[in-house]
Amino acid sequence: MPESNETLVAPAPVVDNTPLGKKLNLSGKSVIDPITRIEGHLRIEMEVEGGVVKNAWASGGLFRGMELILEGREPGDACYVAQRICGVCPVSHCHASCFAGEGAYGIQIPNNARIIRNLLEGAQFLHSHILWFYNLTGLDYVNPINALKADIADTAALGLESIKNSTPLVKALMPDWNFADTQVADFAGVKNRLEAFAANGQLSIFSGNWFDSGAGDEYKLPPELDLIATTHYLEALQMQAKASQISGILGGKMPHVMASVPGGTTFYPTEQRLDDVLFRAIEIRDWVAGTLIPDTLAVAPFYMDDFGYGRGYGKTVAWGVFDAPSRKPEDRYLPAGIVDMNKLTCKMWDEKLITEDTTHAYYDDAAGTEANPRQGITAPAWPSDGYNVNNKYSWSKSPRYEGEPLEAGPLSRVLSAYLQGNAFFKKAVDAVLQYLGVPGRVDVLVSTMGRVAARNIECLYVANLMIDWINELCAALKGGDTEFFAEPETTTGEGAGMWEAPRGAIYHYEKIKNNKIQKYQIIIPTTWNVGPRDKNGTPGPIEQALIGVPVNDMNKPIQALRTVHSFDPCIACAVHITEPKTGKKFTTVTSPWGVR
Amino acid sequence: MTTHEVTAPALTNMLEARGVTRRQFLKFCGVVAASIGLTEAAIPDIARALEIGATSGKLAPVIWLEQSSCTGCTESLAQVGSPDVATVVLELLSLNYSETLSAGAGHSVEQAKEDTINAGGYILLIEGAVMEGWDGNALRIAEEKGTDIVAHAAQNAVAVVATGSCAVDGGFCAAKPNPAGAVGVQAFLKSRGINTPVVNLPACPVNPEWIISVVVDYLLLGKLPDLDKYGRPVLIFGQTIHDNCPRRGHFENGEFVYRFGSEEEAKGYCLYPVGCKGPQTYSNCPIVRWNDGASWCVEYGAPCAGCSCANPLKAGGNWVDVNAPFQKRHRVVKIGSWITQPSTIGAIVGGFMVVALTAHGFGMKLAGRVPSGAEFEKARAWDVKHPDKALFPKTLKKDGDE
Amino acid sequence: MAHLAHYKEAHPTVFRVTHWINLIAMIVLIFTGFYIHFPFFAGFMGIARGAHIFFGFIILINCILRIILAFMVDTAQSGGTRKVDKDYKNWLPQKQNRHQGLQWIKYYLFMKKDHPLSGKYGVPQKLAYLAVPVLLLFMGYTGLALWAPTADMAFFAWGTALVGGIMNQRIIHYFMMWVFIAFTMIHVYLANIEGFAPSKIMFFGTEHGGLTYDPDDGVVTGIDEMGHEKK
Repeated sequence: MPESNETLVAPAPVVDNTPLGKKLNLSGKSVIDPITRIEGHLRIEMEVEGGVVKNAWASGGLFRGMELILEGREPGDACYVAQRICGVCPVSHCHASCFAGEGAYGIQIPNNARIIRNLLEGAQFLHSHILWFYNLTGLDYVNPINALKADIADTAALGLESIKNSTPLVKALMPDWNFADTQVADFAGVKNRLEAFAANGQLSIFSGNWFDSGAGDEYKLPPELDLIATTHYLEALQMQAKASQISGILGGKMPHVMASVPGGTTFYPTEQRLDDVLFRAIEIRDWVAGTLIPDTLAVAPFYMDDFGYGRGYGKTVAWGVFDAPSRKPEDRYLPAGIVDMNKLTCKMWDEKLITEDTTHAYYDDAAGTEANPRQGITAPAWPSDGYNVNNKYSWSKSPRYEGEPLEAGPLSRVLSAYLQGNAFFKKAVDAVLQYLGVPGRVDVLVSTMGRVAARNIECLYVANLMIDWINELCAALKGGDTEFFAEPETTTGEGAGMWEAPRGAIYHYEKIKNNKIQKYQIIIPTTWNVGPRDKNGTPGPIEQALIGVPVNDMNKPIQALRTVHSFDPCIACAVHITEPKTGKKFTTVTSPWGVR
Repeated sequence: MTTHEVTAPALTNMLEARGVTRRQFLKFCGVVAASIGLTEAAIPDIARALEIGATSGKLAPVIWLEQSSCTGCTESLAQVGSPDVATVVLELLSLNYSETLSAGAGHSVEQAKEDTINAGGYILLIEGAVMEGWDGNALRIAEEKGTDIVAHAAQNAVAVVATGSCAVDGGFCAAKPNPAGAVGVQAFLKSRGINTPVVNLPACPVNPEWIISVVVDYLLLGKLPDLDKYGRPVLIFGQTIHDNCPRRGHFENGEFVYRFGSEEEAKGYCLYPVGCKGPQTYSNCPIVRWNDGASWCVEYGAPCAGCSCANPLKAGGNWVDVNAPFQKRHRVVKIGSWITQPSTIGAIVGGFMVVALTAHGFGMKLAGRVPSGAEFEKARAWDVKHPDKALFPKTLKKDGDE
Repeated sequence: MAHLAHYKEAHPTVFRVTHWINLIAMIVLIFTGFYIHFPFFAGFMGIARGAHIFFGFIILINCILRIILAFMVDTAQSGGTRKVDKDYKNWLPQKQNRHQGLQWIKYYLFMKKDHPLSGKYGVPQKLAYLAVPVLLLFMGYTGLALWAPTADMAFFAWGTALVGGIMNQRIIHYFMMWVFIAFTMIHVYLANIEGFAPSKIMFFGTEHGGLTYDPDDGVVTGIDEMGHEKK
């Protein structure tokens, strides 16, 4: 127990000898296809030189054409269908679509509906962040097989230790938090379970794992910490389900909620329903504070290297999420902001400055290669040379803001809130940087591991807000407010919903005439992140972030996988199209432009 | 510290290790029994079936393919309560390939999938529609077309379970104008001449309890469940949502919600006038519910959108085209490119009749037929024209006499 | 007086009763049908559905009964006569109506001045009335295909599958109602536009004087004033 304890409380950067990839002078092409543990289908191709990524290409593998499906339908249908873009963040799509519809209807939702939407959205954030940290990216850092070597007594002690380590941080943010309430998991039970699994010999989800990547030392956690993380992997499955239950209660079911519609919500709070939400929210908040945060702080010191790569451009975008009573994007609980970390500036966005570029995406150049989404006229087309990184190589388009690629995600929101002086994030980010031994260096967050930290800090923030919102709703109801739904003022108009999904800035735009959608546009967080090069050859944020990432194994480049995962890509969302010149192109299922 | 009881991994022990009591487990088995139409007497059998993997050391191998998916069905599976998804992938099934859950990535997992396919004897779960657009290039994974991946994996599978509406009949992806050529798995396999049996589990997303119950049915009885003409398990999709809806009483009482957020909404009245598709949608949602029993759409005031409506072999039978607009009690009728409601057509017919009859009434008045009618003809016109063949010569004679 | 005399023999009591039943059932069915299609006011669905199903059966049974009675009861062979024959013969093609179809259409389109001679029912009238039992049986079929207790029976499920699902079956059932509404409008209009005597005899059995007619000779024979003033 003492040894592992030592390592933990002294989170000094790991003294680095030359990386394996550099020693072996690994060079050539490295491909990860498919990237797993994300939503959707993503291919990453990298050019490696001397053990370092020199160039990278990200390719979104699926085209569905959501916007076309929505045309001619009603805003009330759009919010149901559009959220089917993504089964991980349907609530955000639903809400962005609702906001677009409400803009077109010329209405603002009642205050109660605002709070209920915040709760519903917040529940999805918790669900998504918990699932992502433990169950998706977790396996990039945690090796459950290694947990078999853990000593149970040491594990229990280490568990308590990491809770203790996180106390100052959590206490600073939640003064009345009581760690005595944290239940220590049954590590022995989980270890037994793993042993049984290992004895059986079938690998199940561990088939084709990367635990042996490089020289087999890429997974750096001691067995005890692996066991803790694995135990919490299992707990996380239940916690994310619990968070989804809140979405289910507020939204009908999850994934794909039904209760948020343009104009407000169909959810009518009763004591029993609020109770169902509140107790789940408290349980999740306690778990985030007592498990997720301590684990983050315990794991991070072993992967200090991962703060050193995956930076990208350091420029981020957040439309803002969780409406305050003012309904202004800059007043949101997670405020809007375009951040440039190179200059440490944060400014408000302007919708007109967004463009989408399709130079390197599978769209017909004849329809134009760059446009503001409101004017977008792109048409999908499978190119005659197919997948070709020198020409067209992705179904995803490349959004640009003032011509620049921006990164979207929790990091963007955290930086925006931090730079705008949000008290919680000031305290939390500063405390984490202090803990990591890099006080004041906010730029450290702009890295592979930094994104992990930012996401988990945000998770704690939202977990606390949930309780506040329930109280706010109770107060509003007690005050006699019974409005939940607003009727349309008009059925002809246009509106944009600029909101945030757990993985970043989300944009829905619709134009309606007599309640029928004439035009629908979507820009998804992952489109910002995963988009291919633009007309200037400027790589997308993920492509840029991959440049400089060490590669110690050409077949299992785990650092690259971690970097991609740090963006939490959601590819089904990312790939979509804008209005085609003619609808006719879509009636044919074979490409009129010829297929290899 | 390794004790002997646990190295022989009985499911009960494993569950208890995770804080799931025997009682909770049996309760889950009861849910499974209900959803596959067995009585409570079958609960011990189901429990045993679930334990087979655990006790025999041979977990049923499963491949989970994602096609044009939103991962919602995988997400949905992650919401199942007891056993949770960890139990499912660690102790009930060997999930050898899943783009969302697999620890590996890239070439390594593709290899794992290939090995599983070559070994055979696996259940293939498919999420998302098969995309035929651009000759299958609308979806590419690992340098292969999505269509080829499905065909290859289905060939050797013991059964294909199409999970979710997209996999069943294209779902929303196939909604007009079906931009990327989405089709359901069953229709696709048929077009490729692959005869592996297909179980269709529509809904958006699929209800995880259904997946478990189909798999358990297979493990328990060694056969696939009875299917209806749409390839859906009869016992899950045999009754409408309306049949089992807890708000049904309000329907019968004529207590309805006409506006979201209204007083009636607060009272939990029936959502029929705001477009609930429960009466024509087959599924046991009200019984099995969602999110580990926490909720289901109608309970929290959202009208059923009919997402489990499916027509696997007929294009245009997807739930979006059939059921939109979702929040209206319209029944959309498409005549060519004209989209309208039956009421509109009815009103046009009725209105036309009123106008025509009124106009005719004025004509009758002008013709002096109101109120006493016209004078009778003396003889039938045909008789007059054909006096030699007249049917009623007397009428003619009378004329002639004068 | 250009009407034929309206004698009780045209509509014996038993058929006046079936007509009454049809009238009441049809009103209830249409009203409740609209309500079920969209419940435009609260508090009535259970009753509406109950009444709809009850009167649906009533009108079906009434329809079958009426057909059987047509072979048992005598009715007048035409207006203006008390000569009777088995009712069903009035529903079959009759010598009196031969070659008269076009004349009726011309009459209603004001292309012919004189009222055509005919049997009990004119040609278009007879065709329309003959369609009613067919439509009623079809309506009953689609109705039972929608009614939970019978919907799953193979006989009805087959039809539902044939039309592409329960939704389409509902739409068909709903459109059929409009066919009945259109029929009823024409029926009521034509029965009353040339005076209310036909309604009076149908509903109350009140005879009314007018011209007499010999169905055998197909000829108007004279006038039976029955105390009514000639105008």
